Amino acid sequence: MAHRPARDLLTGPVASITLALVVVITVGLFSVGPRFLSASNISIIGQFLAIPILVGTCAGFALLAGVVDLSIGSMVGVSAAIFGTLLINGWDVLPAAAATLVVCLAFGGLNAIAIVGFGADAIAATLGMLTALRGITYVVVEHWGVSGSLMAFHPGLFTFMNLSLWSLPLIFILVLLVAAVATLVVIKTRIGRHLKAAGGDERAASRAGISVPRVRTTALLISAFGAGLAGIIFVGQIGAVSRLTGFGLEFQVYAALMIGGYSILRGGVGNPAGGALGFLVIAGATNILDLNAINPYYVNIVIGLLLLAAVWLDRLRGGDSYE
Amino acid sequence: MNHLSLRALALSAPLALGIAIASTGSGMAQDTFKVGMAVGGMECCEWMKSQGDVARALAAQRGWDYYELSNKGDAPTALKNAGLFIQEDVDVVIQFNGQPSVNPALAQRFGSAGVPVITYDIAEEGMYFVGIDNLAAGLAGGEALGQIVKEKWNCEPDLVISAEGAGAGIVNTWRTGGMRDGLKRVCPDIPEEKWVSFESVGQATVGLPAARDLLAAHPNAKRMAVVGLNDGGVLAAINAAEQLGRADEIIGWGQDGAFITGPNVNPHLAGSVFYFLEGYAVYAFRDVIDHIASGNPPPVKHDAGDPASRVQPCPVSAEQAQNVPGLQERVAMLLEAPAGTTAYDLFCPNK
Amino acid sequence: MADIDTSSTSSPGRLSLSNFGVWGTILPLASAWLVLIAVTGAVRSDFLAHQTVLAVAFTMAVVGTLAVGQALVAISGSMVDLSQPTSLILSALVAVRLLELEFAVTLAVAIAVLSGAAWGFLNALIIVYGKINPVIVTLATNFIGLAALFLVFQIAESPINSSFRAFGLGSTLGIPNIWWPMVALIAVVGFFLPRTRYGRRAIAVGGSRFAAQARGISLPKTRFAIFTAAGAAAGLAGVLFACSSGPFTPSGGVVYLLPVIAAVILAGVTLSGGRGNLWILLLSVGFLSTVPTSLVFLGLSSDWQAIIQGLILVVAVAIDGYEARRGTR
Repeated sequence: MAHRPARDLLTGPVASITLALVVVITVGLFSVGPRFLSASNISIIGQFLAIPILVGTCAGFALLAGVVDLSIGSMVGVSAAIFGTLLINGWDVLPAAAATLVVCLAFGGLNAIAIVGFGADAIAATLGMLTALRGITYVVVEHWGVSGSLMAFHPGLFTFMNLSLWSLPLIFILVLLVAAVATLVVIKTRIGRHLKAAGGDERAASRAGISVPRVRTTALLISAFGAGLAGIIFVGQIGAVSRLTGFGLEFQVYAALMIGGYSILRGGVGNPAGGALGFLVIAGATNILDLNAINPYYVNIVIGLLLLAAVWLDRLRGGDSYE
Repeated sequence: MNHLSLRALALSAPLALGIAIASTGSGMAQDTFKVGMAVGGMECCEWMKSQGDVARALAAQRGWDYYELSNKGDAPTALKNAGLFIQEDVDVVIQFNGQPSVNPALAQRFGSAGVPVITYDIAEEGMYFVGIDNLAAGLAGGEALGQIVKEKWNCEPDLVISAEGAGAGIVNTWRTGGMRDGLKRVCPDIPEEKWVSFESVGQATVGLPAARDLLAAHPNAKRMAVVGLNDGGVLAAINAAEQLGRADEIIGWGQDGAFITGPNVNPHLAGSVFYFLEGYAVYAFRDVIDHIASGNPPPVKHDAGDPASRVQPCPVSAEQAQNVPGLQERVAMLLEAPAGTTAYDLFCPNK
Repeated sequence: MADIDTSSTSSPGRLSLSNFGVWGTILPLASAWLVLIAVTGAVRSDFLAHQTVLAVAFTMAVVGTLAVGQALVAISGSMVDLSQPTSLILSALVAVRLLELEFAVTLAVAIAVLSGAAWGFLNALIIVYGKINPVIVTLATNFIGLAALFLVFQIAESPINSSFRAFGLGSTLGIPNIWWPMVALIAVVGFFLPRTRYGRRAIAVGGSRFAAQARGISLPKTRFAIFTAAGAAAGLAGVLFACSSGPFTPSGGVVYLLPVIAAVILAGVTLSGGRGNLWILLLSVGFLSTVPTSLVFLGLSSDWQAIIQGLILVVAVAIDGYEARRGTR
């Protein structure tokens, strides 16, 4: 595969999704008016997207390396539950966050042991981890929470999550920054090439001297780390954790990543910028429906059609064709 | 270029479709009073959708704008919706939250924006409480079931099964726990080991496997009383007993009245407590929103014990419930009734 | 663009359903099941009772029927059908509404199963003509389907005093009536899959679509057949679900998705296709359906059950992966 990052942005997977975003913005401006692009509206979307984009960016590393990580939604839940519990028990934010991330990395390590160490099917193993982590969230929330909720409102953290920079949420800007750095890593650096090689053709990668197990282990740890960090942000934003925190997030994330040019069937394709744009497209479309006060029960129908349309168009452009 | 327009066309199609569906009658006059409504958006319950339908109709009757979003049973979505309500300049918001844990964050957002909020059933400081006293409703249902247990079994059931719904948080504690306490008021001497629980998720079919396992693990229990978060959860236990061939002596009493009306009532559901959840908007409009609209906002009463508007629980036996119309019919009748008439006024056989 | 097979373990030997390796899946699964039963029985002797059989068999019926559909999709290389929650409830709703209109039970059941098949056919249409990967298609159609179902109904329940419901709650030979159609389906599909032309084509396509094409097998035809059949299986599951349980909601099928996929994986069906024996589903579904019942007997709350069930799956697929890796060396 020729390596021309600048051109990739125009012709690679990201091109379709950029165009899709342009379409969404155009439709938004026509149907909603200029306030569609107002700072207030973008802030609402940005606050909401901080967690999914962070989770998606990091889970994207695993996808690139050819190992799907389905446990991310539950990982957000378990991270939030652990972090919230530590806060309730009087820990300071930083040590609590560090301890939470260590635990999440350990869970990610279990994924890696099963998948990389033993050769388990990634979807199957992380499906098991999804279930187990959900159970741990239940147990933690049940034990340390009151009536099914862990109330862990932290004023300092809440203030931080609501800080603005250039009239946009700081947390959103930070997450976009993470996505941008991740994109550079993927398309510009040797690490990125190794990732794509390991995900694209395992044997060729091995022949080229790339340690596929090490790449995949690292990718699974990054995925777990991102979800863990997202759980901490969740506690900051919402101030509480429930049994359902993070429930079903994996479906949202992978829908957006697939719209954004990743493939769930094979590694090596897509990049974080495309993934982030995928989230923006879905959130933008949802926002248009919301602002037009469309019966909320239609929203998922539109999202489903959009998912099909976007992937189909990407395919027409020469993207991932399934035969 | 051709490709571009094709792509644009196909991508716009689903969006345009959605907008076309909804753009019927969205007036944009700035001075019209505007009510925001966040429906729960969980697919568990018929009444959640009806709560929005009734609010929409009441707003239309008054010539107001109405803006409905769905919380989708998801805390981050509820918080996002709060931002949208504030941005869209609603004059008042009704919140129904299946995710009560997000309420403090919502109160903070709405509070700093100066938007008055009505909360259904989940008390939160700074919000108008409109709703039922869930604990009182639980106690009432538990006492009614207790009377049956006393008459039929002399307060000696083999098992008292709690159909929990932990996801509902404090509401589950009030209702399911309240039912247990109400039952104990009538039958104080049921031994500790007779009380068992399973997670029903508040849905008959979802809770069914767990109920089945629980019953199998108590194979000798014949006289079984069931309490729970709602009718659906209680039915999970009853349906499990039916599957295991042990339904002869199971008696359940539900909460919320979802499955106690119509031609298909389970014979083992002895009664329920109507909340008439679909009709909460009548209370909210009558006691809070109408006053805000006329420029005389009432004091914010957030306490379930001293609420802005109190919904009466209506415990009914299955027999009494036969004369109560089903949900859709109730909604139609409610909207035809004189302004301010509540579903309790219209339909409770047991006032 | 060449599609690269990332599963290093696939080899030409896997293209057919060779018996080699099947026992490697059966023996550990059967012994795990037996150990589970023995241990629980040792702690609680009343576990070894008819009530337990009923509880487990009811769980197995719907999960097992759905698993047949899911396994067909996986074996043919299409990975997963994420829209089973929709097809299950669609069929259940059709059955209930037709019975309310006083259709004959057999007719209502037939139309309900067909509605499931039609849903599968619709998936295949999009997959084949859109040339979009089935995971994305079924993810999207499930979003659309559940939302559309919610617009059509919020609550439905089969008539309480109907023969339909009586069948669903009844037993034959001490086993729930709804268990038998599940076993029959597994037996029939398990028998015919490796022995009929369509079945062999499906397996071949799953093993390697390029090799299959080279042999003149039509990919579109195979996909239509597989997804329609898988939809019909989910339709049958919807019927079994509707006749045996109480009021259901549009989202009532969502809870089955992950356990069904887990059962398919435990049965040794690789999600990337080309390998799988339907009959082993009876073991994996039986084992996975016994786990929660055992845990309740042992006094563990349902919260802990999720942890243990999840870990079982992780360990099982890790062992499976280890064996597969060793086998190819």
